[in-house]
Amino acid sequence: MDTSVLIWFVIFIIAMVLFFGTAVVITVIGVRDLRDLLSGSATKE
Amino acid sequence: MNFHLIDWIILVAYLGLSVFVGIWAKRYVENMEGYFVAGRRVKVALGSATLIATEIGVVTFMYFGELGYVTGFSCFILGIIGFFGYMVIGKTGFIVSGLRKLKVITIPEYYELRYGKNVRILGGILLFLGGVLNMGVFLRMDGIFLTETMGFGPNVLAIVMTVMLLIVISYTVLGGMFSVVITDFIQFVVLAFGMLIATAFVLIHVDFAAIGTVVLTQFGEAGVNPLVNPRFGWTFLIWMMIGSIAISALNQPAVSKSFASESPAVGRKVFLYTGITLAGRYMIPMFWGVAALAMFGPTMNPTTAMPRLLGTVVPSGFLGLMIAGMLAASMSTYSAYMLAWSSVATRDIIAPLSKKEFSEKTTMRLSKIISTLIGIFILLFGLFYELPATAFQYIAITGAMYAAGAFGCVAFGLYWKRANIVGAYCSLCFGAVAPIGFLVLEQLKGVLPSSMLFLIDVNVSGFMSFVLGALGMILGSLATQRSHPPIVLKPKEEGA
Repeated sequence: MDTSVLIWFVIFIIAMVLFFGTAVVITVIGVRDLRDLLSGSATKE
Repeated sequence: MNFHLIDWIILVAYLGLSVFVGIWAKRYVENMEGYFVAGRRVKVALGSATLIATEIGVVTFMYFGELGYVTGFSCFILGIIGFFGYMVIGKTGFIVSGLRKLKVITIPEYYELRYGKNVRILGGILLFLGGVLNMGVFLRMDGIFLTETMGFGPNVLAIVMTVMLLIVISYTVLGGMFSVVITDFIQFVVLAFGMLIATAFVLIHVDFAAIGTVVLTQFGEAGVNPLVNPRFGWTFLIWMMIGSIAISALNQPAVSKSFASESPAVGRKVFLYTGITLAGRYMIPMFWGVAALAMFGPTMNPTTAMPRLLGTVVPSGFLGLMIAGMLAASMSTYSAYMLAWSSVATRDIIAPLSKKEFSEKTTMRLSKIISTLIGIFILLFGLFYELPATAFQYIAITGAMYAAGAFGCVAFGLYWKRANIVGAYCSLCFGAVAPIGFLVLEQLKGVLPSSMLFLIDVNVSGFMSFVLGALGMILGSLATQRSHPPIVLKPKEEGA
């Protein structure tokens, strides 16, 4: 395989891992943040 | 037809859940800050999820997929440039921390503090026009995506898209930023899962070696080197380097999420964590586009190739999940954009022009009416407007219409003491000239003399908009320091 193609593949795989890895972390911590936001917000009732 | 009963059940269940949650969040609307910026209590992970969900839509998948199909791996450079742009903002707080400290809700609000009311109105008009034109292309792209992946005719899809728009309008109008934040979070989770499914099935059906071979065969060096690719080159890359920072820091729908954060430091971190995902969310749909080239060859319509690939390789059941994820992405983008542009129109154009002061209730009611009108506009625009360049370049040039002047006004306003009202006017007007000129002249290209054809080069126009915006601010301010002394601002709260 051509070197330049290989470099782009490696960059793509790193980018993909960073995206999905961060997505998992954000999802887990985000649930807690969302709970905090809603519990600290007054409702209309 | 690719879409089966199980896919419909998944899709309808998901859309129903989104509407229910969005309208349920209406109970949390307290006042104007609650409506526009969720009471400024959003933390890092939640802020990052909502910002990512806002920035990813079917339209982004579509234009990145199209770029992948027509440029090969060269377009991956945009992911790298965007990644560094976000890192600069996330590490330094460039622009976003300064604005968050001043507790503004919209960018033109800053113009009034720093330059006066009339600059706010002009900036608001340009921001609104550029932003809504930018959004105009979304629905058409979504329509094409659904046509190809689900296998329906375009007439049915127009109805489906209208229904989707009505759903988004309903919960954006009723719930405001609380609805947007909660639904964005759900949509972020679903869309990330949808992207994972799509990528997995693409990789099962199209192998890396075939993709590499087709790129080199089809494009040669232009497929792997953006500098020699005729669609890119230095002008485009420099425009993107400046634009990635400017548009990221000044894109009202995105920066609203930073303003909604609980402190300037959190607002900065939201950009940092969002930036880590940026290269991936650019390159993944680009990769789908390149894979479509390997699967179908170069003769397809570039816009339809990527969705056709996904409709072909993703099996029933998973297809419903993937489409739900993609629609999730679009709905979060629409809702955030409608909320952002309606808040600009209400707070920065109508309210300052009105002789009497608006109550919070009136401001929110006006914003809801404008959100609805924006929805109608994008439906009509999507049906009748023909794009003058690739969708990505159209989005970038309409973004430059407001971002170039805004970058001059806000960046110089925050970091250069000599920036004044005359410089602000010059920056806003000069920054908008090249993109507006491009959009108008492009329609007249048949009658333009050859010496003027460079004016309809989208890359030259985009690059020039930022140069002119900055020059306008510097020259306008320096020439009028005595007649128009600059206003110095103090932050409203403690630093980041």
